Amino acid sequence: MSSTEIIVNGVHHLVDADDDTPLLWVIRDILGLTGTKYGCGEGSCGACTVLEADEPVRSCQTNLSEAAGLSYTTIEGFAEKPGADACQSAWVEEEVSQCGYCQAGFLLEVWALLGRKPEPTDDLVEKTLNDHICRCGTYPRIRRAIRRAASSRGGK
Amino acid sequence: MSTTRREFIRVMAAGSGALVLGVRFCRAGRFPTEDFRPNAWVRIEPDGTAVIQLGKTEMGQGVQTSLPMILAEELDADYTTVRVEQASPGPDFLELGTGGSTSVMTTWEPLRHAGAAARAMLVAAAAERWEVSPDSCRTSQGAVEHPSTGRRFGYGELVADAARQSVPESPPTEDRSRNTIVGTARKRRNAADIVRGRAIYGIDVRQPGMLYAVVARSPAFGGEVVSFDDTRAKQVRGVREVVRITRGVAVVAEHTAAAIKGRDALRIEWKDGPGASFDSDTHRVTLEQATETPGVTIRKDGEGRAAMKRAAQTLEAVYHYPFVAHASVEPVNCTVLVEDDRCEVWSPTQTPNTVQRVAMAVLQLPDTAVRVNVQLLGGGFGRRLNYDFDWEAIEVAKAMKGTPVQTVWTREDDLRFGHFQAASTHRLIAGLDTANRLVAFEHRKATTPHNIYRPPTPEQTADPDTVRGWAWGVYDSPYAFPAAEMTYAAVDAPTPIGPWRAVFSPSSVFARECFIDELAQTCDRDPVELRLDMLGANDASIPSTFEIGEDLVERQRMRRVVETVAREARWSDPAPAGRAKGFACNVFHTGTYVAYAVEVSLRQGQPLSKLPFTVHRVVCAVDCGLVINPAGVRQQVESGVIWALSNLKSEITFHAGRARQSNYSDFPVAVMDETPLEVETHIVGAEAAAPNGLGEPTVCPFTPAVVNALSRLAGKRIRSLPVRAADVSSR
Ligand code: FES
Ligand code: FES
Repeated sequence: MSSTEIIVNGVHHLVDADDDTPLLWVIRDILGLTGTKYGCGEGSCGACTVLEADEPVRSCQTNLSEAAGLSYTTIEGFAEKPGADACQSAWVEEEVSQCGYCQAGFLLEVWALLGRKPEPTDDLVEKTLNDHICRCGTYPRIRRAIRRAASSRGGK
Repeated sequence: MSTTRREFIRVMAAGSGALVLGVRFCRAGRFPTEDFRPNAWVRIEPDGTAVIQLGKTEMGQGVQTSLPMILAEELDADYTTVRVEQASPGPDFLELGTGGSTSVMTTWEPLRHAGAAARAMLVAAAAERWEVSPDSCRTSQGAVEHPSTGRRFGYGELVADAARQSVPESPPTEDRSRNTIVGTARKRRNAADIVRGRAIYGIDVRQPGMLYAVVARSPAFGGEVVSFDDTRAKQVRGVREVVRITRGVAVVAEHTAAAIKGRDALRIEWKDGPGASFDSDTHRVTLEQATETPGVTIRKDGEGRAAMKRAAQTLEAVYHYPFVAHASVEPVNCTVLVEDDRCEVWSPTQTPNTVQRVAMAVLQLPDTAVRVNVQLLGGGFGRRLNYDFDWEAIEVAKAMKGTPVQTVWTREDDLRFGHFQAASTHRLIAGLDTANRLVAFEHRKATTPHNIYRPPTPEQTADPDTVRGWAWGVYDSPYAFPAAEMTYAAVDAPTPIGPWRAVFSPSSVFARECFIDELAQTCDRDPVELRLDMLGANDASIPSTFEIGEDLVERQRMRRVVETVAREARWSDPAPAGRAKGFACNVFHTGTYVAYAVEVSLRQGQPLSKLPFTVHRVVCAVDCGLVINPAGVRQQVESGVIWALSNLKSEITFHAGRARQSNYSDFPVAVMDETPLEVETHIVGAEAAAPNGLGEPTVCPFTPAVVNALSRLAGKRIRSLPVRAADVSSR
């Protein structure tokens, strides 16, 4: 059986698993990086979001074969991204997290959004985050944290 | 209160080099009746740090932040040097468990006294060494000082000597007006870990050589495995074993994806049980029928329903509340290692002692051989007060002796096979005289009691004192009635029913507060003014407090919350064009008072999965007694509001004993564009002597506040949840 190469947080891995194994479980169970979360497995909650290059993707909707040769960043490697710190500290300052389980997905999605649109409107924020679920109800604080992160990045 | 004041602090582990106090937690004002047995330890280490070791599970509500605040205040320690350690059940940690919004309520008094006692003992130790009187010493941020000579000892230097002091009878506690920690906004302790992906939840537990399992369960309630064929499952790459457990068949694999794929490949023949014909539509009819006659009386004011005969006219309405699931984003899961003579469990549980007992029973092991490690929870909401997932995982691990196995529920499993918030029907009747004055009131609730632990006996369901405890929001209505009767009827269902955020309250408060709004409309009264009247604002003959069951209801606290919201929301100003205002309030059974005023408009053309309205403004007033951490209060209000919004859009329905919903796509919860931009929270009554808890109370009155606004917009009363577009279209 052949193995598949993927790059996660800059580290190359050879993975022995079926081609249709969702990347989510490769990352969590095979590579042991548990910061990426499982919430639904159907693409509707966003907990499993990772960055492929700089684009947020749902790792539960990405098969190992599709991930072959690509480079991913998970929440564990997020700090290396330029501007990540502005998001992380905005999250802490605005006290976004309650249980915190969903937050890695939100953070990576927001970081990518700010990269495309340094000062997103409320409308765009909603459109971008509408398919992320937080059962603890941290949405108002996420909005505030986005504004804070946007201003501390100074529109860079 | 018990007359003999029982001991609840004692020096433990003397000679260990640290100062260790065993603490006994119990609800404020209630003292334990049996012999001293600590359920938490406060330990001051030789390096001066303080550790609270107790069994309260962090699930987003912030106990790891608020409890250290309480201890630090009384100990006069640097707050940043106090931390919480999660205790495992054992002979020293009985009765662990986190639920009912009581964590802060039950720990507040003992923790304060432990802090004060430890401080007095540290002072005594220092005074002894300096040979001065303890009164001439003072404490400051983790040190004892002798101001007149400028001498100073850090707490760490004193712990060994302090441990030899006797525990003071009633150590002086801090003058509350001088508090520097309690009542100030503090940030959540693990916030930095969370944003770095370093917070480890139950599902993140990883042990060397560990395997992963998922379980195939009977699709209909109560079914059993007749036979199964695992040939194809075992051919799936990564599948290691297929094992039969009580509830079904488990597939154990090298990773979760392989386990799921293996489960899909199983062929199982099921035998249906008696629950296989259950249908929620039929059940709703049964519930409604059960309210046609009164159930067991749980409160009677004046003549009760007999007074209804004096009514010139009656207003009667039937409210329906659906089955609902918890749907916390982390599904339930549990990791277990079973060895020959011991077992270790890693569970995101709210009830570790039960988990330990289950493991002891399944494995025939003594308590000393079962270790339960409580993990961080990705949302609790009452789901993890159940032990079904732990039980399955223990059985799986028993079959896989020597190998740690994590049994994970997929989202589909989580929505179909967990326990639910019970559906209920409420019939409310108001009798009015010719001048539209209330002469009699009835609230009849019919629902299914919790059945996941031990289904209630017929004796229990007929006993008023027992069923009262299942009817929060009905018997403890804060309103004064000239005559009233509240009743409860238990209706069987094969669906597992158990705790869900705010437990018995949300449905009762929804029905009651919407009906009060109907009553106001019928009598042409302002709904806030009518409530204030019924709370005694304009009638000195209405008692300002009353006791019912185990609860004390304080109408003046309720009034203050209502008045605060009315003022801050400018209730009497008309709503902007296209919007309507809605109001509701409640006292939660822990003694927490909450009121909401909201402003809502309809939203046309939304898909079925979205709310057909927008909530523009939310004003909340909350009196949860003494506030430890105001930042935590605001978070819990926001959280309750958004939780309740989900309640307005989703339900679980059953057909042929099976839940029809299986994931967030058909059990949609509130998302960002459905939630208000801001939630305005006003905290009142924070000067109180003790805290009352807040994880759940903020949920209950929000739903009716919104429905009351929607009913006005639609021009017709909405009496059923969830609210669909057709319910709010006026044409
Ligand atoms: S787990 Fe991937 S979107 Fe929910
Ligand atoms: S913080 Fe708990 S699910 Fe979002």
